[in-house]
Parts: sequence; structure tokens; C-alpha cells
Amino acid sequence: MPQRTDLLQGTLDLLVLKTLLLGPLHGWAISKRLRALSSDVLDVGQGSLYPALYRLEDDEWIRSEWGTSPEGRRARIYTITALGRKQLAVERSAWRRFSAAVDQVLHAT
Amino acid sequence: MPKIRTWLRRRLRALLHSGAIDRELDDEIRLHVDLEAAELMEREGLSAAEARRRAMIALGGAARMREEHRDVRGVRWLEHRGQDIRYAVRGLRNRPGFTLAVVLTLALGIGANAAMFSIVDRLLFRAPPLMRDPAMVHRVVLSTSYRGVEGHNTYIPYARFVDVTRNTHSFSRTALFTENELAVGVGTDAREMQVGAVTSGFFGFFNARPILGRYFTAAEDSPPIGAAVVVLSYGFWESQYGARPDVIGRHIQVGATLYTVIGVAPRGFAGVWPETPPVAYIPASARAGEQRYGGKGDPWWTTYHWTWAQSMVERKPGVTIAQANADLSQAYLHSYQAEVAASPGEQPVAIARPHASVASILSDRGPNESSLAKVATWIGGVALIVWLIACANVANLLLARALQRRREIAVRLALGVTRSRLAAQLLTESTILALLGGLSGVLIAQWGGAVLRAEFLSKTSTASVMTDPRTLIYAGAAALVAGLLTGLAPLLQTRRMNLNSDLKAGAREGGYQRSGLRAGLLILQGTLSVVLLVGAGLFVRSLRHVKAVPLGFEPEHVVMVETNMRGVPLDSARSQALVEQLQAAVAAVPGVTNATRQLTMPFWSTWSLGLTVAGIDSVDKLGQFNLDAVSPTYFATMGTRIMQGRGIEARDAAGAPGAMVVSQAMAKKLWPGASPIGQCVRIDSDTLPCTYVVGVAENIKADHLGDDPGLFYYLSAAQFHPNQGGLFVRVQGDPDRMKEPVRKALQRLMPGASYITVTPIGDIIGEQTQPWQLGASMFVIFGALALILAAIGLYGVIAFTVSQRLHELGVRVALGASGRDIVRHVVTGGLRLAVVGVGCGVVLALVLGHWVAPLLFEESARDPAVFGVVAAVLLAVAALASYIPARRAAQVNPIRALRAE
Repeated sequence: MPQRTDLLQGTLDLLVLKTLLLGPLHGWAISKRLRALSSDVLDVGQGSLYPALYRLEDDEWIRSEWGTSPEGRRARIYTITALGRKQLAVERSAWRRFSAAVDQVLHAT
Repeated sequence: MPKIRTWLRRRLRALLHSGAIDRELDDEIRLHVDLEAAELMEREGLSAAEARRRAMIALGGAARMREEHRDVRGVRWLEHRGQDIRYAVRGLRNRPGFTLAVVLTLALGIGANAAMFSIVDRLLFRAPPLMRDPAMVHRVVLSTSYRGVEGHNTYIPYARFVDVTRNTHSFSRTALFTENELAVGVGTDAREMQVGAVTSGFFGFFNARPILGRYFTAAEDSPPIGAAVVVLSYGFWESQYGARPDVIGRHIQVGATLYTVIGVAPRGFAGVWPETPPVAYIPASARAGEQRYGGKGDPWWTTYHWTWAQSMVERKPGVTIAQANADLSQAYLHSYQAEVAASPGEQPVAIARPHASVASILSDRGPNESSLAKVATWIGGVALIVWLIACANVANLLLARALQRRREIAVRLALGVTRSRLAAQLLTESTILALLGGLSGVLIAQWGGAVLRAEFLSKTSTASVMTDPRTLIYAGAAALVAGLLTGLAPLLQTRRMNLNSDLKAGAREGGYQRSGLRAGLLILQGTLSVVLLVGAGLFVRSLRHVKAVPLGFEPEHVVMVETNMRGVPLDSARSQALVEQLQAAVAAVPGVTNATRQLTMPFWSTWSLGLTVAGIDSVDKLGQFNLDAVSPTYFATMGTRIMQGRGIEARDAAGAPGAMVVSQAMAKKLWPGASPIGQCVRIDSDTLPCTYVVGVAENIKADHLGDDPGLFYYLSAAQFHPNQGGLFVRVQGDPDRMKEPVRKALQRLMPGASYITVTPIGDIIGEQTQPWQLGASMFVIFGALALILAAIGLYGVIAFTVSQRLHELGVRVALGASGRDIVRHVVTGGLRLAVVGVGCGVVLALVLGHWVAPLLFEESARDPAVFGVVAAVLLAVAALASYIPARRAAQVNPIRALRAE
């Protein structure tokens, strides 16, 4: 079982939005997709996914409606909104700056 | 904005449907766990139970997550408030007596305020409906000095209006306006109604496009006489024409002229008369031209001697009030100089010192405001004081309650409730109480206030508290401020709390403490009550003085009959015949005892002429002598007594030597020490034959209830203007019930469109005494309210103190104090506060008396009798309020008091 990492504060929003960019998903599918995309390194869970989804919806970055999951069960399906796409762009560039800065510090001699 | 709305909607949904959201979340989690478990089983070959366990762990504790989820939902804050409200409601429901007392007290205070506010607001603050820019619109006030006294006039001649409009540059528009009661319609349908006579510029002040047709133009409103066109009000169009669109072009009789309808004003438009909305608007020049101004020389549009309308102006943007005043003053100065040049008899500029200014468009903002408005303002202040007393009372009650709950609060603090949360809870409680009080207060204002509004506002006013947003907002604000203010007192208390000692103490020691705050509040109530009661006393005494004024006639059962000819042309012989027919006809109406002819009505109209008396240089310098021309039945009809000689008799007919009856004051003034009977007076001109004094009548009040000089004389109607005037009719029973029979009997005799009006003269006299009547009744009502509230407050606090001190009092009894000692001890405590309150109140009332003095009638604002009675009443009430709980304290069984914890 690969080593898993706790998410950094604030990155969850970014990841959820990015995941949804690829298409509407329900909650569990989001966490699964995230795990798959990060090669099982990043694991949401620890009770933070659903509050995050609610918050994102409250900010109108994502939208949800009740529908049927690919497994044939009643599920709440989340979709990214136009506002969410914009926000994703903002957060993405912020993340790039942040990770670049961290890299720079770590590579300092 | 939409962002905020969504946010609020979501929060509200989160709060209201918290259960549904939790259920939805559960569904989502169940799906998550199922799918995760299925995957684990498949990938790692775990058993179903184990897979499920691992899936749950991976997700995190469900309960914790739910809490976190809720926190994110942001419902915490709202939930806390909800908890506070539930907590407060529960607490209040547990103590219904306390709750009722507080709510009632506040309801009285807030209700009194809302009712008065709805009146004062209409009189003094509310701009006329639909006015375009009320802040820039003003009435013009012209001021001149006469004999060193400055007088302010808002009624001005047309020529002055033209001068001012032409010679100023600060105003974007000007208009002349007046409201008259004119007969509208013909025959039996004719009724006197308010009609606005305005210049064509008047409508431009308002955002009020005619709903039908148009307003009149400047061309239709110009001297010598304006076009006979009329704009109807929406209400009149609806009630008289059923809102039919084909009303344009119809004719309607207004006053003496037949007008053509050219437009209908929009709903709600009432010109500058929101309390007496006109039914129609006619050109000012049509009204002026119709009246055939009979002044010497100039016609109505150039004379400076006929003041009949007010003017209003709208400042251009950027023009300050000071600039407007300066501009107006120079224009008025020019106009005045032109006037002096034309008629040299006028006072020169240097003495008259003419200057002009702009004033509020609301006439009751002054200058020359009605005394009703002054009284209303005072009563408004009084209502505010009642509100303050109510607040003080409630604060005291809440304080007592907080003290009782001291231990409970200490426990809550010890258990970790933050002080801010505690404060929020206390404030929630007082706010709920205040809002309940406000709600009941609005009901009180609605029902009780109807009486007030009928007294202060015109009868046609449809003012209602419930439907008036401004009054409701005011009541709400009064309630909220009351809630915050009264919540403050217990808050201050919790800040002083010492957890340690409060927790250790029982209810006993924890409860009883001398509180400066409580004493202060009681003293405040006492002080304010004294002020109100002194006001009540002063007004009641004034009213008694007013009522006791001997009028010199008995108005109770007399009605006045006036004829309004509306332009029906009658020569002098036919008009004389008409008046005589009317007098004969009215005498035949059942219930009529007497009828007399008259030319003038005290407090309503006067007539005076120059007099010449042998041996007196200038009679005019002695004062103004007013006259009436009457029938032989006059003195019996009016109840005026003949003191000497005889009254007017049938023999004083046309052609007989002129006869006159003079008042005692007039006799004394003209012939001091000599008998007036047989003296010769030449009336109007010294070349006319003598009129001989045949009798002396008692003095009457004709102009002022106060110091009226009473210089009055009576001529024979057969000898003086026999073709003019109306009647006084003495009736049996209620004059209001006799109005209609009298009018019907006489209307039949009236030719053409002319008609009869009948007015009980008691109504006219009543208007004179109304300010005192109102002042007295209002001050008494509010003063009594204040006294009751203060008494309840004192009683409540003393009773509470006694109950908290039972232990201590028990000790005193055990140590040998008698019941009487205890009573004396407790009552003295209450009285001490009352004495301080009375002292402060007396001082405050003396200071305020300076301003109330002009409203009183022959009454000193420092009347020691009033102050004495008020102080005695207040102390007696305070003694009683303390005695009742004191007696209970005296019956304390020391054993039980000491044993009880």
C-alpha cells in the first residue's frame, strides 16, 4: 500500500475543482478519481471531502443535483460552474507560485 | 446584492431545513461507504464487515464530520440566536406575571409615543405627498416692523408675488396658493368643500402628471380674470363621477362660477394640504377675479392691500438658504419701496424695515403656527417622557430579575458560558419583551390614538397608525431602543459579578444588595412624574380659567345662519326682503325659541367704523370699537344682559332717530363718570346725524378670551345695512340636532344657486378654548399614566427588596423590633427616594415652566398650589406603594424567615 499524504490546507478546493473539470461526479467518485490521478498518494477522506463540497457549492463554484450514479444508485452529482472554472485558474496560479517558492527554499544551498 | 441574498437564503435554508440537509448528507455518506467497501472487497479480498469498517475509518468519524459540515454551513451563529430566543421565551413563559407587567408597561409607553408621533409627524415633519424636492421648497415669509414690533406674514398680495417672482434669481419656480371652502355643485347637492386656488406654476412643484387631461397654463391663469377651468382631485373624480374618463369638458359649479373640467390630478396628490385635501384646483386669478376686490383705486392684481394667498418657491440647485433669503429681501425691499411711492400713507422703509425669508412649506413649522401644533409638540415631548418612565420601570424589573437569577448566572458562567454569550442572552430577553411591548403598543396607538388624531388633525384626515410605515418604523425603533436600554441595566450587573462569592452565597446574601442604579431609576421616575403632573395641573387650572371667562353671551344653544349668494344678483330691497323672510321663517321652525339678525359674530368677524363724540379729540386713539346691527330680539337670543336703559326695540325702525346700545366698557371709556344714555355719537363720518345711546349692555368677549377691551356697540338692523347679514337663532336642546331642520326650512327660500349654512356658535367659541382643552386632557392622561407607572415601579422594587431582606428583617424582629418599627423602616426607605425624586422634579418643572408659560391662560407656571398638590400626591402614592409590601414584611414570622434559605 503506497504512502499516503495528508492534504495541505487549502489545496483540497483546488483538487476538487480540477477533478470536476473532467466531468460531473458524485462524492465517492471524486475521492476515487483524486486517488487515481495522484497514483494513490493523495487521499481525501478524514471527513473533509463533504464539508468542502458544501462550501464550494455555497461559493457557487460547483453545483449539485440528485441523480443516478454509474453504479445505478441515487447519488448527488457535482458539476463545476463557470465561476468555479475561473476560481480554478486563480487557485492554480497561486499554487504554482507557492510550490515554486517552496521548491526554491528546499533547493537553496 | 444578489450575492447577499443567496447567502441569506442558504443560511435560512440551512437553519430551517437542518434536518433535511443532515438526511441528504447521510445518504451521500452511505453511498460513499458502500462503494468504498465494495472496492476494498474486490481489490483486497476483505470480508464485507471488515471492508465496511475500513471504509468508515477512511472517511473519518461520521459524527465529527457532521459537526464540521454544519459549521461550514455557517448556521452556528443563527443556531445560537435561535437557542437564545428559545431560552428567553421559556424563561418568560415561566414567569407570566413578570412578562405581562413588562409588556404592558412598555406597550403603554410605546403606544403613547406612536400615537403622538403619528400626529406630530404629520404636523411638523412629513413633506406634502408627491412633492418633487421638499428640501428645496419653501413658503415665503415677509417681515415688517410696526411700532417696534416685528410681524411675520405668509399671506401676501398678488402684486407682491409678481414683484418677488420677477426680481429674484435664486428660484427655479414660484407659485401662489390658497385653500378656500367653497360651495361645489348646485341646489340641494351643493356642499362646502375645500378648493385649492393656485397659480399655474403650482403643479410643477410636484411629481404628479395628471391622470386625465391636463393642468391649466399660465395663459389661463392671468389677470384680470383667469379662465373658468378646473382640475379635479382623484378622490372627487372617483366619488362624484365614478372615475369616468368622459369627465373632461363637463361643467361644475364652484363658488359663484361655472367651471369646465380640464384634468384630473393623480391619486394621492393633495397639493400642500395633506390634512385637508382639496376636491378641486382652480386658477388663482379665476378665484381672485370672481371676488371683485373692492379696494380703493387699484385692481386686485396691482394692489398691495389685499393679502389673500401664500407663496412658495423652489431654490435652484446650489442656492443656499442664506442666499435665498438675501435675494428675497432685496426683491421685497424694491417692492415695498414701489408700494410706498404709490401710497405715501405707508410706513417708510426705515421704520418698517422690510425683509423676507424662506420657511418650511409646512405651516405648523412656523412662523405663525397654530397653537394646536405647539400643544401637539409639547404632548409629543410628554409622550417621550412617559416612554422614558416606562423604560426605567422595565429596567428596574429586569434588574430585580437578574438579581434573583444571580446564582443561576454564576453557575452558567462557571460552566464556561462566555460573558458575551450571556450578554447576548440577556439582550435577547429584553429585546423580545420590547418587541412584544411594541406590538401591543401599536395596537394601543391604533385604538386609543384615534381619539388623539380626531382632536389634532382635521376630520377628513384618514391617518391610521397600522397602515403608516413611518409611524410603524418609529414604534419599532422605540421598541428596539427600549429593549437595548432596559437590557443594559442587568448587563452592567453581570459585569460586576464575582463568581466566587456568588456561587458560595445562597439566594439570600446573593440577592440583597443596595443598588445605586435601582435607586437612580426610581428617582428618575419620580422626577419625570412630577414634571408631567405639574404640567397637568397647570393646564387643568388654565382650562378652568378659560371656562370661567364671562363671555357676555351664552353660546350653548345658539346657531348662526349665514347666507351665501354665490353671485345671485339681488338689489338691496330684495336682499332686505330675503333676510326678513328668513328671520320670519326660522321663528316658525319647531324648537326655535328666538331669532335675531346680526352682522358680525364674536371670534369670527368684526366690523368697525370711525366714531365722533363731542368732547373727545380722537375716539380712534382710545381703541377699536366693534359693532353689530341687531333685531329687538337680539339680547334675549344671545343672553346678553342690558345693564341700563333699554335694548334695541321695534321703534328703532328705518327713518326713526338712530339708536345704539353700548357696552359697559365703551360707556366708561367715552363718558367716564357721566351717564351715557342720550349721548350723541356720529358714526363713520362727523357730518352724519347723531346716533343716540339708548342703553348699556354687559361687556362681551369678541376678539380675545384674554384681555379683551370689550369696546362694543349695537345698532338697529333696521337702520344700519338692513339688506345685509345673517341670523342668530336660539334653539331648544342640542344645537347640532337643530342644524338640519333649520337649514332645510330656510334653503327653500333661497334663490338660484345661493345657499344657507348653519353653524352652532358653540363650535366657534370651542375653537378658542381647544388648545387648553387639549392640553389639559392630554397632560392629565399622560400624567396619570406616568404616576401609575412610577407607583408600580416603586411598589415592585420595594416588594422585591422586602422579599430579599426577609432574613434580615426576621433577625430584627427576633431582636425585638415591633411590626410598626419594620413598617416605618421600610416605608421610610421608599419615601426617601420619593422625596429626592419630588425635589428634582420640582426644580426641573420650574425650569421647564419658562417655556410652557405662553401656552397657559391666566396661570403662573410657578403656581405654588399646583406644585404643592403634585408633591403631596406623589408622596402619598409613594407611601402607599411602600406601605403594602412593608405590612407584609411586618407579618414575617422570624422563625420561618431565619430558617428559610
